[in-house]
Amino acid sequence: MSPDTHFIENDYLKVFQEVTRLISSVHDAQEVMDLVVRRLPALLEVDAATIRLFDRGTNSFVLGAAWGVSDEYLSRSTIDTDEVMSALLSGRPTARKNIDVSCDHDNCAFISKEGVKSAMSLPIIYKDQITGLLRLLTKDRREFAQAEINFAMSLAEQVGLAIATCQMFQELENQVRFFSAQREISRLVNSTLNLEQILEAIVEKLPGIMGVKGCTIRLLQPATNRLELVAASGVSKKYLTRGSINREDSIFKVLKGEPVAIYDAANDPRVNYHAEIREEGIRSILAVPITNDQEIIGVLRLLSAHHRSFSANDTHFAVTVAEEGGNAIEKARLYRKISLLFNQIEEHERFLQTILDALWLELLVIGPDQRIIMVNKHFLARHGRREEEVLGQRYPSVSPWHDATGQHSPLEQVLRSCKPRTVVKQYQEADRERWFERQLAPIINGQGAVDFVIEAVHDITDQVLLEQEHSQRMKLQGVIEMAGTAAHELNTPLFAALGTAQLLRDDVADPEMSAEMDLVINNMKKMAALTREMIKVTGFSSNAYVGSTRIAALQSNAKPSTS
Amino acid sequence: MAEILVLDDVLDAVVLVKKVLTREGHHVRTFTEEQEAIDHVARHRVDLAVLDIKLKKMNGIQVLEEMKKLNPELRAIMLTGYPTLETARTAIELGAGEYCVKPIDILELKEKVAEVLTR
Repeated sequence: MSPDTHFIENDYLKVFQEVTRLISSVHDAQEVMDLVVRRLPALLEVDAATIRLFDRGTNSFVLGAAWGVSDEYLSRSTIDTDEVMSALLSGRPTARKNIDVSCDHDNCAFISKEGVKSAMSLPIIYKDQITGLLRLLTKDRREFAQAEINFAMSLAEQVGLAIATCQMFQELENQVRFFSAQREISRLVNSTLNLEQILEAIVEKLPGIMGVKGCTIRLLQPATNRLELVAASGVSKKYLTRGSINREDSIFKVLKGEPVAIYDAANDPRVNYHAEIREEGIRSILAVPITNDQEIIGVLRLLSAHHRSFSANDTHFAVTVAEEGGNAIEKARLYRKISLLFNQIEEHERFLQTILDALWLELLVIGPDQRIIMVNKHFLARHGRREEEVLGQRYPSVSPWHDATGQHSPLEQVLRSCKPRTVVKQYQEADRERWFERQLAPIINGQGAVDFVIEAVHDITDQVLLEQEHSQRMKLQGVIEMAGTAAHELNTPLFAALGTAQLLRDDVADPEMSAEMDLVINNMKKMAALTREMIKVTGFSSNAYVGSTRIAALQSNAKPSTS
Repeated sequence: MAEILVLDDVLDAVVLVKKVLTREGHHVRTFTEEQEAIDHVARHRVDLAVLDIKLKKMNGIQVLEEMKKLNPELRAIMLTGYPTLETARTAIELGAGEYCVKPIDILELKEKVAEVLTR
């Protein structure tokens, strides 16, 4: 080993120790990357350093950290030539000078403008996998020696190890945090059946736990099968109203059940509205399906303000929360539906009760066990009962018409025969007899059994009295008409007999015979007066009785005879 | 002395009226058939018709109406065993001088006849 070589190796050792010491002092992968790109140029006498990480989602390298170059340079789409990228993906380092001149890709202008002349590109390998790239750049034309390349390669390996270790450390930390957070979110979403509270709990809690700026939840609407924004946090109204995302590629994938992690959201073709994403300051997006019993019911999106390569654990946690949330959301939706149904049933019941109460008849609804299910206001008012006293009670104890002595009451007959029945019966009420018509109608279910019996009771006392009066009047009218006819038929012979008797009386001279004739004439006149009265009666008039009905007024029409 | 026509469906009744009025000096013709009575009015002088209301084929009101067509000056006394306001009003409207209810006292009958004939 020459003194020069020894000197160089000694320097390399110092640098190696320095780098190892630095990267061992932090446990955050981003900090490691930032530290490496900031400190390495001075140690290795280059102008700039960049680290890019391999993103499995896009199968490309995304920026991890950079120092010494502009954002414009970093934003170019092509990192290096196909030859260089191929070598790196094979795990081989490359070192080239004049990269601004011998450039065969479409982003050479960025390199020229930045003034980069030479570049050493090193694969970052961890467990035989390419996990990223470390590039060292100079603005002078520099030929990297093999020893420098080898040394840088060992540094890149060290960086890869450090990043992986930190990532692992962070993952472990995250997992512990996630477990705790998951428990909290689970508690929150399962503590309520209010859909809005569940959605709010997720969008408010999740960003803090996952270290992102915002969160959105969109649910598939059953009627349209389209996603509709139902909750959001950490983003502006303007961003939320940017337009439909139903046709975004990322959404299609998520709705198939596949989580989608987008590192560079402002440029990634899997999402639309790049300008709005940029304006909102969103760098990375993680979208996961919201599921319930393996059915996808929506999409949950986490929006990061920093470029972030979401880890498998991040994704797993988000998926778990989305699943938990999905179950709670579905439960809340079901509860809402049931509540709505209950409200509708209650409203229908109120409507029905209003109608029943408005009926001017007494009404009872009786179950097959002979217990009262429903009663109307008219029944309660007539019998001085309260609804709570009546509902649930057995029919015999409630119904004033129940005949305890009867072997089979009308209700029992309806329950047994499943056929309606009408009963008209007289009841003594206080000092008055009343007539009631009871109509008992069964409501038959699909199995042919009686679900309910509706008993409607009309007070028909007035009607019965009216019918009785009408019947009496008809009978009386018949008698009157018969009397009139008889009187008429009697009048003519009586006229002939009386007249003849009077003529005979005029002809008789014997006083004794005259007296006898007078007796005959007087009696005939009495009969004549009687038939006159009978005729007068037949000319009866009527007085107002009930409603439009009138009855005969016999006495008032019978006037004393004048002949 | 008046020419008097008596019409009743009951023979005894017309016989009685004839006896009563004949004794008063009137010339009385009796009928139990409506059409015969109407025909008599068409052919003979009649001063007064004593008509029952309930007859066989027609009623006394209809008979009076027909007789009035033949002899508008004809005076009439209606007799009925079954008085109604309706028949009384119609009879008066057709020019009947009296509306008497059977059984009428023969004295009253005589007076009514005399009264109607003097009008």
